[in-house]
Amino acid sequence: MRRLSSSRALGPSLATFASSFAALASLCAQQTPDSQNTIAFSREVKDVFERCGKAVVKIEATDQHGDLSGTGFFVDPTGTLYTAFSVGGEAENIKVEFKGRKYPARQLMADVRSGIALLKADLASPTLPIGNSEQLEIATPVVTIGYPLDLAETPSFGMIAGFDRKCFGNYFPTKHLRVNLQPQRGEGGAPVLNLKGEVVGILLYSFENNSCYALPIEAAEKLRSDYVRFGEPRYGWIGTNVQEASAPVEGSRAVTTEVIKGTPAAEAGLEPGDVVLQIGRTKVHEPEDTLEASFFLTAGDAVPITIVRGNEKMTFQIQADLYPASKTRLAAPPPLNRAIPLNLEASAPERTP
Amino acid sequence: MDEFNDNEITKLLRLKRYEQPPPGYFDNFLHEFHRRQRNELLRQPLWRICVDRARDFVFAFNLGTLTSYPAAVTAVLVCAAVISLRIYQAPTPASVAAQNRPVLAVPANENDEWSLASPVATRVFNTRSLRNITESAQTHRSGTPRYVLDSVPVSYETTFKF
Repeated sequence: MRRLSSSRALGPSLATFASSFAALASLCAQQTPDSQNTIAFSREVKDVFERCGKAVVKIEATDQHGDLSGTGFFVDPTGTLYTAFSVGGEAENIKVEFKGRKYPARQLMADVRSGIALLKADLASPTLPIGNSEQLEIATPVVTIGYPLDLAETPSFGMIAGFDRKCFGNYFPTKHLRVNLQPQRGEGGAPVLNLKGEVVGILLYSFENNSCYALPIEAAEKLRSDYVRFGEPRYGWIGTNVQEASAPVEGSRAVTTEVIKGTPAAEAGLEPGDVVLQIGRTKVHEPEDTLEASFFLTAGDAVPITIVRGNEKMTFQIQADLYPASKTRLAAPPPLNRAIPLNLEASAPERTP
Repeated sequence: MDEFNDNEITKLLRLKRYEQPPPGYFDNFLHEFHRRQRNELLRQPLWRICVDRARDFVFAFNLGTLTSYPAAVTAVLVCAAVISLRIYQAPTPASVAAQNRPVLAVPANENDEWSLASPVATRVFNTRSLRNITESAQTHRSGTPRYVLDSVPVSYETTFKF
């Protein structure tokens, strides 16, 4: 009797167990692809965070508004780092927090046109590899690592949402990456990384709620190259103004409306009415394309420019001059701990020992 | 009043006509009047006396004149407080590089000469500043730092030129 009752109780519990197992198995079978993808993504983001996080630092400084905090990242083993202009462009008493210690840093270069600054801390640092933002496509997954608020190093995961030249009718100096991830305050200057852990952009500012804009790393590298070569950014220009033509010619609507006297363009023979087809490696279809090409011109370098005049296609080799506004330096007094270089002009008397 | 009473009263008044107060009565009359009046007053409780005194004091003056004095004093105090706040709490001008940012307004080609400056100094380009450098969206001087992430670009391009 007792045995019978126990077997009667065992029967339903076995059935319940079997049915639960079957349901769980079927559930697992249904969710396997999504779960695997999620786990794989999570693993990749974690891997990028662990590999690259060491080269991302918190930057603290002081500007005219008080103390500030942002993010930066090392790009060479001697402590050179990129950050946003808003973080390191106008600040003093810059300190970099690395491995729990704070190191003083100084500004090497700050560029208001691109919105970035190059800093230097005297330490041996890990570096982030430089990627290629031109290989990015819409919906390419990316990761940023930053220091939001007073929190610890934090990864964020998102995707490339667009490549924009303008926003609300205002033109960027060069094409910007629009990234769909939610940045937080304090992450200005953070690296935008692909899933290989390579830097493809620098996070500069937020856009609406769940997006942000990043400067492509090629644009930043152009400026770093200028700094290495000349000690400063050297944007080039040839001396023409461009507007949109009423009808395209050879696929381009960018027509020169003015060739300024005494500029390389005038000396090379460019004329108003020439339709610009190509500047260096950049093919021109719209006037906006000239912005992209102009950003990457370097003063002193020769650039091939292809135009259409009438029915004739012509290519000029023009040596770019310094971007005119670049010649007007910011009249900022150098910090006290910097040497003041003397400007020895022709009229200055020579010093003799 | 009937006729009898009137006659009676008339008769009594006629009899009283030659009555005179004792000598010295009017000499002490005023003093005696005040003494009796004071005695009557002192029969009331102390708080009532104080209230009556205060009421008499207030109504002895022009009430409209009295109310204008506190208003005038309050206005003077408020003005003094505002002026002292402006004088003593005015921010000291910051001596940092960005204060010279008006150079941004210098048009291209206006100054073609190099100036005496550091070779790694910030340079200015023909871009239109979206932000007023002297102001910030997150400007504050509290104990916590300003966590930087701009919502607009530092600058943008104004013309298509290269």
